[in-house]
Amino acid sequence: MARYGMALDYKNCINCKACETACKEENGILMGADKHRIWVGTGEIEGEYPLLDLTSNVFHPSQCQHCDDAPCEEVCPTQATYTDENGIVRVNIDQCILCSYCMNACPYDARYVDDRTMTVDKCNFCAETRLARGETTTACQATCPTKVRIFGDLDDPNSEISEVLRTREHYSLKAHLGTKPKLFYLT
Amino acid sequence: MEVEISRRKFLQGTVAMSIVGSAALSTNLLSNNHDSHGSSAKPGVVSFHNTKTGSDKGHDVATLCEMCVNKCAALARVENGVITKLNPNPMFPKSKNMLCARGNAGIQALYDPDRLKYPMIRIGEKGEGKFKRVTWDEAYNAILNGTDKFPGLSTILEEEEDNRSSMLFCAGEGMAEHTFKQFYQAFGSANWLNHASICLQTVASGYGVTLGSYPQADLENAEYIIMAGANRAEAIVTPDTMDLFKRTKGRGAKMICVDPRFTNTAAKSDKWLAIKPGTDLAFVLALTYVTLTEELQNNEYIEAHFNDYEKYKNSIIENKYTPEWAEPITGIKAEDIYTIAREFAAAAPKAVYYPGRRSTFAKNDFQLRRAMAIFQALHGAIDTKGGLIFGSKLKLKPHEGLQPLYEKAQARAVIKSTDKEGHQGYDDCAVVSGGGSWIGWRNRFLEDKMPYKVRGMFCYKHNPMMNMPNTQKTAEMLRKMDLVVTIDTMPSDTVMYADVVLPECTYLERTDPVKTFGGVEPSIAVRNKVIDPMFESKPVMEILKGLTTKISKPLFEISKKFDEEIQDMIDEDGEEETYTEFNLTLPFLHTQEELNHHVVSGYPGAAEKLHHDGVFYPNQDTYYKQLAANQFQYYPENKKSYSTRGGKPKTPSGKVECLIGSFASKGIDPMPVWRDEYEFSVPKGKFKLLTGRHAQFTQSGSSNNAMLRDLMPENFVWINKRVAAEKGIKFADMIEVSSSIGSTRLKAYPTEKIAPDQVFFIHGFGEESEALTWAYKNGGNDNAIIEDTIEPVYGAAAMHETNVSIKKV
Repeated sequence: MARYGMALDYKNCINCKACETACKEENGILMGADKHRIWVGTGEIEGEYPLLDLTSNVFHPSQCQHCDDAPCEEVCPTQATYTDENGIVRVNIDQCILCSYCMNACPYDARYVDDRTMTVDKCNFCAETRLARGETTTACQATCPTKVRIFGDLDDPNSEISEVLRTREHYSLKAHLGTKPKLFYLT
Repeated sequence: MEVEISRRKFLQGTVAMSIVGSAALSTNLLSNNHDSHGSSAKPGVVSFHNTKTGSDKGHDVATLCEMCVNKCAALARVENGVITKLNPNPMFPKSKNMLCARGNAGIQALYDPDRLKYPMIRIGEKGEGKFKRVTWDEAYNAILNGTDKFPGLSTILEEEEDNRSSMLFCAGEGMAEHTFKQFYQAFGSANWLNHASICLQTVASGYGVTLGSYPQADLENAEYIIMAGANRAEAIVTPDTMDLFKRTKGRGAKMICVDPRFTNTAAKSDKWLAIKPGTDLAFVLALTYVTLTEELQNNEYIEAHFNDYEKYKNSIIENKYTPEWAEPITGIKAEDIYTIAREFAAAAPKAVYYPGRRSTFAKNDFQLRRAMAIFQALHGAIDTKGGLIFGSKLKLKPHEGLQPLYEKAQARAVIKSTDKEGHQGYDDCAVVSGGGSWIGWRNRFLEDKMPYKVRGMFCYKHNPMMNMPNTQKTAEMLRKMDLVVTIDTMPSDTVMYADVVLPECTYLERTDPVKTFGGVEPSIAVRNKVIDPMFESKPVMEILKGLTTKISKPLFEISKKFDEEIQDMIDEDGEEETYTEFNLTLPFLHTQEELNHHVVSGYPGAAEKLHHDGVFYPNQDTYYKQLAANQFQYYPENKKSYSTRGGKPKTPSGKVECLIGSFASKGIDPMPVWRDEYEFSVPKGKFKLLTGRHAQFTQSGSSNNAMLRDLMPENFVWINKRVAAEKGIKFADMIEVSSSIGSTRLKAYPTEKIAPDQVFFIHGFGEESEALTWAYKNGGNDNAIIEDTIEPVYGAAAMHETNVSIKKV
């Protein structure tokens, strides 16, 4: 029993896509350019050459926010989407009927369709692979060249993530929606 | 991804196809029994599943990545004989627990269905790509005796009267280049060309002659970094990339990015200066002017470690290399140059003018590197924490090779010449380095300006068709060669021109020569074999063992006929004893594992440690610690090699060389100076073509990788947005880019990240080999249009000197 979350030192991100690739290899994500559980968002550059706004081109790594109050879970008519005992929002593919309500409900655009199973797939913090083997890092965290991610148990006051969230300023995405994300962006 | 499209719209620019993944792949799927590679381009036909890793522990093998040149440490997870995941190996101080996108996608290189699977010999016309599958013995036999389509080594050496230099040897960068070089040396040719002249030649030599070494930058501790012409966020270098970007943006390191393009590195910088291509030298000279006129230099360091400081100072001041002078040349404001020089000096010695790690862009690159090295040294930021460092290196024991002398082997096929002003040099360039001038050599070969006949070539892990300017000339060269033997993993464009194709296994299927990695935290690392070679592929070591076993004796018989020294030796010592000195199989008698064991035998327990962990250094067991989830200690702070020589340069004189007198007689400026012909200019209506690297591809070597194609399906040509609008060019419109030597087609990416008089696209796309399912005619090939401009000092290919026109098609 844990309450897993992730802190992202997003200023380290260089948009190299190592995380996306590691996730795909680890979790057997369907091949294809639009099939991925995690991604890096980029802003379109503003200004005219050579007077460009450096701050407009921020790299923003993202994935499922594993909300404590997950809208995707709420709208799922078959309870395929559920929160497991470790606070991870997961999909039971046997129950998914691909109604796609969850995809519309998710404010973070974190879900996609796996065409092999014709069900909705999303980040599960490597619950079926690395965590199942007793490992303590996700594939994206382990591989990251600039070490953007810190993964851990939010309920354990001695965990690294708890320590970091106590000592560093951070924010959550779309906090006003009240979804209570468990991804925290460090500033 | 260079092209910024929001996540779910990403598919727009791609082709829908099923793509090859990793784990569920059976070898049956890959071993389609092609008799020829002539018509195997079949997008969408091969289906391939990517499956998740298993839930049991599995077992890990420590190896080193070969998806690019960095050699990062990886742990390969093996389940039932299949590699299901590559993870970073945290124990290696160079790669510090990271594996980039390419490193992760190594699985797709291993299980690429297009891989070369068995030896082949040519049955069609040269370049047509029609081959016949043969056994290894038949392939070796074809190399020795030829077929009805091409002559073998015995005919060539017989006709050339045992001139071993009638065969050219060339190789790309890699740990096993060492093994291939053993073959070259034993064979006795003097013609060796490697990647240097299309890679680091001018930067390595510029720093080499000035500081005595091509130093590393301590980006973990530098407080001020000028990152000019280097794109560390996209062209990843370990440990530089990881060290740097954890500290930028107000977190300890101020970074000034100087690049004509707005790169990902520019996005992470504190200030981006859009310099005009090829004018960095003027920028450095102006920085130097500010340092010297405002007395910002480190006089103590200069007094102890400089030669000809006064002469250089006078040259800078008398030439009036003021920031105001540099402003119109570089496009960088004079006030910015003043500020940067002052800030750099204030931060020194924790300041770095980053040496960079790239191919030659402009003809003045060698002088630029000299000026950068001197500017750095003026501030005393050499061999110091936070500056440029020499570091230390763990010694390896040498192992025996074979380098016989053949009387009839001619000297290297270079031609000494004297120019109009009486400068001594060579036809290709002023100085010929160990790796030679590839395009100079190629062009002279085509123009029949060789001192003797070169008839064939051995090409290892090297793709001259894609890797150097003017693809058409390279094709012509390959067609003109009587015998081309390629050793490679993939059916590259160059392999299509081969007479004999020898399939090497990938890096995950072989053990390579152990390597020592110098730096602040030195270590030794090894690439251990993870799984057995698939199909009939073999490590280059075993390929060469088989080949030399076949050819050694018959070639010795030819030498006996022409080589009087060998004849005398036989008279004196008998044939058997004489042959031992010419037995080509000698370097390949031991396995790679045995050789590795030998070279680290000076360190107790190292061989076992390397086998198990992939990494070794003395006191590793006490020094190495995990400090946090993402943080490891390799050496305690007081054991790191920040300063190993008290700042003393590694030149023969032990000084920073401002002036190199011997260069004057070769027509090279003995001190870095600006020349008017270096100025940037583009004829009206044309664009300067820029090329470069990317974090998701390593040149043509990874262009067929299915996983990486998910990240970047093809390359796009960057065109300034306003220019594109004027020309009615929209995103993904097909564009023809042409220069004086050819044209290529790729899609448009209108953006403000590039100047209106320049265009850019990523190198390594647009291959013509039909045997590459995904890379075939995918995107544009820069080398089809980059003119073969030769940098005058070392004969390097100058990549950014070509003007092009663009047209919507």
